[in-house]
Amino acid sequence: MKVLVAVKRVIDYNVKVRVKPDNSDVDLTNVKMAMNPFCEIAVEEAVRLKEKGVATEVVVVSIGPKVAQEQIRTALALGADRGILIETEEKLESLTVAKLLKAVVEKEQPQLVLMGKQTIDSDNNQTGQMLGALTNMAQGTFASEVAVDGDKVNVTREIDGGLRTVALKLPAIVTTDLRLNEPRYASLPNIMKAKRKPLDVTTPADLGVAMTSTLSLVKVTPPAERQAGIKVGSVEELVEKLKNEAKVL
Amino acid sequence: MTALTQDALIERLSAIVGADKVRTDADSLETFGKDWTKIYAPKPTAIVFPKTTEQVRDIVLLANEHQLALVPSGGRTGLSAGAVAANGEIVVAFDYMNQISDFNAVDRTVKCGAGVITEQLQNYAEEQGLFYPVDFASAGSSQIGGNISTNAGGIKVIRWGMTRDWVAGLTVVTGQGEILRLNKDLLKNNTGYDMRQLFIGGEGTLGFITEATMRLTRTPKNLTVLVLAIPELDDVMKVLNQFQGSMDLTAFEFFSDKAMRKVLARGDVPAPFDSSADFYALIEFEAVTDADMDLSMSLFEQCVENGWVVDGVISQSETQAANLWRLREDISETISEWTPYKNDISVVVSKVPPFLNDIDEIVTREYPDFEIIWFGHIGDGNLHLNILKPDALAKEEFFERCAKVSKWVFEIVQKYDGSVSAEHGVGMTKKPYLKYTRSAAELAYMKAVKAVFDPNNVMNPGKLVDL
Repeated sequence: MKVLVAVKRVIDYNVKVRVKPDNSDVDLTNVKMAMNPFCEIAVEEAVRLKEKGVATEVVVVSIGPKVAQEQIRTALALGADRGILIETEEKLESLTVAKLLKAVVEKEQPQLVLMGKQTIDSDNNQTGQMLGALTNMAQGTFASEVAVDGDKVNVTREIDGGLRTVALKLPAIVTTDLRLNEPRYASLPNIMKAKRKPLDVTTPADLGVAMTSTLSLVKVTPPAERQAGIKVGSVEELVEKLKNEAKVL
Repeated sequence: MTALTQDALIERLSAIVGADKVRTDADSLETFGKDWTKIYAPKPTAIVFPKTTEQVRDIVLLANEHQLALVPSGGRTGLSAGAVAANGEIVVAFDYMNQISDFNAVDRTVKCGAGVITEQLQNYAEEQGLFYPVDFASAGSSQIGGNISTNAGGIKVIRWGMTRDWVAGLTVVTGQGEILRLNKDLLKNNTGYDMRQLFIGGEGTLGFITEATMRLTRTPKNLTVLVLAIPELDDVMKVLNQFQGSMDLTAFEFFSDKAMRKVLARGDVPAPFDSSADFYALIEFEAVTDADMDLSMSLFEQCVENGWVVDGVISQSETQAANLWRLREDISETISEWTPYKNDISVVVSKVPPFLNDIDEIVTREYPDFEIIWFGHIGDGNLHLNILKPDALAKEEFFERCAKVSKWVFEIVQKYDGSVSAEHGVGMTKKPYLKYTRSAAELAYMKAVKAVFDPNNVMNPGKLVDL
């Protein structure tokens, strides 16, 4: 079974995000970039499927600038077999990404597509669903457990108030949630091996997808700064302040 | 000199700092009377929270007038009982002197009250696009005043040195109650004795630091972390030489498998790899270009070929780097549950292998029933030897048995011209062992210096050196 994993290069989860002074966007100068954490979980799951003998090949695809090869190499070091970079300097929108992934799906014909439920930069949580609509493949979102069973995959989904397990007919799309697994570190020997794994570079034009934009970014603002707290002398004073200043009572 | 009644004392202190800045409740006495050592029962008379250098001076003058003992208190994360008040002392806590001011982008300096928390300074530096490089596990609690008084080291010493290297200027109140401004933040100032250096690492025995001008530096780029599995202790130093010969490291730490197992057992830190070895090294460096990355890979390869290293991982993101660091940084806190007997010893780096062998031989011979946890800043020649208390053993008996072997450990330290306290300071726990590192003549001069600055022995008496 061939598994396709989509990964995105985003601002490192541990970095304190700063907004450009003119509020036009997030400031990315000299900022550490890394693989989106949900995508890491998707790669880990694919590699585990391969280790179990369920998957035969794990192909990882990323869309972005040339440097996004770093994230593909990381995925290869974690155990993916080969990589595809769709190189573009354009800003990425969910629908365009879904269209590009559809083109890759048509070409690669994977039985399973694994992707993060969302990326931590745009937080949209819609690319997997859009890809499902475009390809007419079954979809299981917010996965906390994935079990392939013959021509089906059972996906346990994290939903409000509990878990729901759905059986999807393959080929299918699964988007990963945080509890699905804990990604491993890339070992140094595997990083060295990953350098010799194939990585093909293509472009949106090669795939016949136009990078048309339907959204424009209006403004980015940082969250309001937290005001310093005060210490109150008595319960009465606290109640008084909650009533008259905070107006929550 | 007249003795003060408790009420009169509180009244005098309140007159200096205000009644709301003097505490005598049981909780405060317990909290502010101790540090991370769990050996001495806290028993201070009062806790006082000055807000200005002048208030500190007035407290010191009062102490001289009535022969009161003062103990300085910062983040109380010390490991040598340097800030413990176990004999009815007055604790001077710097928590309210926590202002950061006078940032100077040209000099790359910033003024800190003694009570500024280390992490607060680190964050402030980051906001200015700069970096305060002294870092250790307790950075979220420890205060700058305490850092300077103990010349705190930590995990980045191999590249950026100790706290001493970042102090541009100091304001201190001496034991005589005089306010001194030392070094005026100058980079070059050859005008005789640099008294600033006496207060750095002075553990509050000569005077109290109330304010410091700290230097900042450029932010390192793309710090990348490797963790390597090393079966033989001897080979840890060979790995260090191999890496240091080719690249500048920002950290080189080591820890034993037993230490890592304790951290992993917490369940919130992921294991680096499936394989295990008796020892691990954590190496950090700046990966500015692809060439840096490639170099680290080829050094790793050479270490594997030489048979020193059996496995390794490298951080692919800051999140992973932070998680790998936790393997090392969480050790101290994790093992505190076992009331460890801690040693913080150092030798010059070249002597580490034979020194380690000697110590290892003694501890395995003398503590066959105890759990030994090794970790440390091995790139600085600094080792933390921790012995965990077996549940069945009473605390007193445990420390008594450890103290016996301490003597042998320190004799080895002396043989190799090392230090009985590399970065934890002396306080009360290391005071009896100072002679293994300091000569009798040195100790006599230290006493003489103490007598000059604190003739009435009111400043942190009983710590470091007796008058």
